[in-house]
Amino acid sequence: MLFKTTQQHEELRAKVRNFAEEKVKPLTFLLDKENEFPAEAVAELGKMGLLGIPYPKEWGGLGLDIISYAIAVEELSRIDGGTGVILSAHTSLGTWPIFAFGTEAQKKKYLIPLCKGEKLGAFGLTEPNAGSDAGGTETTAVDKGDYYLLNGGKIFITNAPKADTYVVFAVTTPDIGTHGISAFIVEKGWKGFEFGDHYDKMGIRSSSTAELIFNDVKVPKENLLGKEGDGFKIAMATLDGGRIGIASQALGIAQGAFEQAVDYAKERVQFGKPIGFQQAISFKLSDMATKLRCARLLIYSAAEMKENHEPYGMESAMAKQYASDIALEVTNDALQIFGGTGYLKGMEVERMYRDAKITTIYEGTNEIQRVVIASHILGKPPKKTGGADRRMQKPAPITGVRKKVLFREGDSKEQVQALAEALKKDGFDFTVGIPMDTPIARAERVVSAGKGIGDKKNMKLIENLARAAGAAVGSSRPVAETLKYVPLNRYVGMSGQKFTGNLYIACGISGATQHLKGIKDASIIVAINKNANAPIFKNCDYGIVGDVNEILPLLAEALGTAEKQPAPPMVKMKRPQMPRPEPIGPRYVCSGCGYEYVPELGDEESEIAPGTLFQNLPEDWVCPECAEPKDQFIEA
Amino acid sequence: MYCVRNVTEDLYWVGANDHRLALFENAYPIPRGVTYNSYLLLDEKTVMFDTVDWSACRQLVENAQHVLNGRPLDYLVINHLEPDHAASIDEILLRWPDVTLISNEKAFMLMRQFGFHVDSHKIIEVNEGDTFSFGKHTVTFVFAPMVHWPEVMVTFDTTNGVLFSADAFGTFGTLDGKLFADEVNFDRDWLDDARRYLTNIVGKYGPHIQLLLKKAGGILDQIKYICPLHGPVWRKDLMYFIQKYDIWSRYEPEEKGILVVYASMYGNTESAAQALAARLCDKGMTNVALYDVSSTNVSQLISETFKYSHLVLASVTYNLGIYPAMHNYLLDMKALNVQKRTVAIVENGSWACKSGDLMQKFLTEEMKDMTVLNERVSMASALGEDKEVELDTLVDAILDSMNEKK
Repeated sequence: MLFKTTQQHEELRAKVRNFAEEKVKPLTFLLDKENEFPAEAVAELGKMGLLGIPYPKEWGGLGLDIISYAIAVEELSRIDGGTGVILSAHTSLGTWPIFAFGTEAQKKKYLIPLCKGEKLGAFGLTEPNAGSDAGGTETTAVDKGDYYLLNGGKIFITNAPKADTYVVFAVTTPDIGTHGISAFIVEKGWKGFEFGDHYDKMGIRSSSTAELIFNDVKVPKENLLGKEGDGFKIAMATLDGGRIGIASQALGIAQGAFEQAVDYAKERVQFGKPIGFQQAISFKLSDMATKLRCARLLIYSAAEMKENHEPYGMESAMAKQYASDIALEVTNDALQIFGGTGYLKGMEVERMYRDAKITTIYEGTNEIQRVVIASHILGKPPKKTGGADRRMQKPAPITGVRKKVLFREGDSKEQVQALAEALKKDGFDFTVGIPMDTPIARAERVVSAGKGIGDKKNMKLIENLARAAGAAVGSSRPVAETLKYVPLNRYVGMSGQKFTGNLYIACGISGATQHLKGIKDASIIVAINKNANAPIFKNCDYGIVGDVNEILPLLAEALGTAEKQPAPPMVKMKRPQMPRPEPIGPRYVCSGCGYEYVPELGDEESEIAPGTLFQNLPEDWVCPECAEPKDQFIEA
Repeated sequence: MYCVRNVTEDLYWVGANDHRLALFENAYPIPRGVTYNSYLLLDEKTVMFDTVDWSACRQLVENAQHVLNGRPLDYLVINHLEPDHAASIDEILLRWPDVTLISNEKAFMLMRQFGFHVDSHKIIEVNEGDTFSFGKHTVTFVFAPMVHWPEVMVTFDTTNGVLFSADAFGTFGTLDGKLFADEVNFDRDWLDDARRYLTNIVGKYGPHIQLLLKKAGGILDQIKYICPLHGPVWRKDLMYFIQKYDIWSRYEPEEKGILVVYASMYGNTESAAQALAARLCDKGMTNVALYDVSSTNVSQLISETFKYSHLVLASVTYNLGIYPAMHNYLLDMKALNVQKRTVAIVENGSWACKSGDLMQKFLTEEMKDMTVLNERVSMASALGEDKEVELDTLVDAILDSMNEKK
């Protein structure tokens, strides 16, 4: 074999190069300076069919191979790295998952316009707490029967807000890590789907990057991509392929800088000859060319493996990692060859130097690429050590088991109505009440003010609500101690008064740990706060996300403002016990020493994974303490 | 002077009482002393069942010589190798060099480990279910691993229905002339020590006691005597004691009642514990026992914990942790497999109250099947009158939880 591209490949390269030189190159300086998206050029790429290079013709693609796609990204990036990544993100990230995991209907609806270049695609995985580790995904998609309700947000999304079609990852089953993530096709323009500001980036400034914001976005059931829980698998498979695109982008940027440097080295004369013939510069150029060839062969090889459906995860990671690492070196050397001239704005090497940096960061940092490569070499790491710590544990909310029902449907009035009804259903009688100055520890009900209440005059709202709810008035610690809106003996918390009555309405209280500990025995906790992420919402039975100025008067009205009858002596409503985790299987005790085999823990020293039931232990397993065989164990 | 008693035809108690030992296993206080029981069978062959602690060896030899009355000792059956019974083996071998040792493989291994010179004697290694005849009497060997050592077996004489039960059905306390449980008021004078003995020494091995009880269940109607290695011999009302063992080894409470254990430095937590106990009694629950964790031996606390269905732990915070004596009690509960109890918590802390959370965490995460009531009394330094409501709430919660249970 010749390790050489085909004639067809080189014809495509010439076509894309021609396009990039003619249509993109004149714009690059302005695009970079103005942070501007090359809308016209992208539209033209679509018309040329270049937005669907590696996809079959039946779906509107060009039906070419992966190397062809890599060449196209490389050639665009050779002129402008930003334009290169537009193509890469569209093809590898926005389009591929629909091609690979979509149903016929999804392909018909979304894949064809994407391949034809009528629509632009993007991919939404990264979140503030989920970057390299997708297990931290917090965007949720709740099954509502006919549709999923999508809430949360994504950051650093390439092609947003220009793209029309987004593959978005969200948690459908909480608390089980990456297995609970699913993929969805989301369209721009749907109600509740908005974008944050376009980021002001260091490089690739012609590529658009923005935040995705989902607020109760209804995603039709048929837009679930793959099965529920397949999201992580889809994301990882997509990124395997995406790395080829980013590697090509890095290669193209470096190639462009290299060519600039060669030209300049031939032109610039010092000490009587072009600097390229000074050995220092010639060696630099040699090294740059060698690195470029290495990177190119790595990329084309990975692309070829993908084309032939061979496992290529490690090879694409190597290509991405190497090509982007050397892109930094090559652009750096190119700028060095230019000397002070290269340091000026308007010089292409200056822009390329900045553009290159992102390639070691996105679509898996190069550190993550090395993790991927190492995992192919070494396999899974050994299990974590330690006794009780080996059990998967989720910290329980401070206030124990809570219903956590948030009323989000309808307008504020409807939300408040729903809350009032829920409370009445729980057995609260709002025709009776206790004096507002009842000591907190004795109060059956408390309406409590937090800093979110704002100005002191808003305490009127608290008092009015307390009157309507038949409750005493309480507060958070700062409201009593710093703001002095109420006497010190009215603040609720671990260090203050503990509320153990039946109903606690927290208004504008975010829910500091100390405060939550003081209300953990409350039978029902209601939270009203404008910040949906306040900890109080994870510790409440009922909640309304909204402004206290609006919600409190509505709630007072809903509970009834008529004079209250004196309340009978309090009957404490039972709080549910924290559920104990069910054992996964019986424990067994050794008759040789009394050692107890706990299936939740397994037996680390014998490499028995936590969660292994006793009956599933290998026949030759023996007691780790005294070496008695398995048949010497009895059920505990 | 010899001191022996006849158990039944051909069988004699040849053990000894020990009033001088302060700590059993060098761990458990025994103000009522302890007996080391050894038994001697006069059949066509003569057979000794287990020996005694080294401190009682002289008495054993004197007793055996008296009963043997010049006959040789033919067999020595060893059911349990713990030195409070086995330490005198070597002396018996020296005095009766022709004796044949009968025990199991693990027991012989332990004898060698302890340095007894068994290999210069005839030994018979028996297995579970083996039988052996001494003439009129035929015995069968039943293994009872981990009650409470791995080599333990019990020997059943099928001829006269005597079960040599090793440490099972033993108790602290000296016999002082009496031999049979029906010669003392066991329920009044002995049960607490029997419970303290079993729960502290064999408490961890409930499943293995259950296994032994199951094996015994098959021959229950044939058992006429239970001859343990400590305490009185049972010949009447055997089921009284067997049922206690069944309850203890299933970790079920013996009584519906409340054990209050408090850790108090200057009396403030104690005051809260007393107030709580008084309120419980006021409301009709008078089966309440209250102990100071600092001045009560933990073995007694463990025994009481096995007895009662409900537990109140009241502890000060100490070095941002649980008061050490209380912590030690919790660790002991865990080690002895205490489970299936409902616990209420009272915590005290003058500047950073941590003990309640830590005790709750220990109970729910380190122990099995413990229910901690949500209601908790937290106090800063002392229980003020403003906390009366909290105290009443806790009392009601405890009483409610008692009514929920059958």
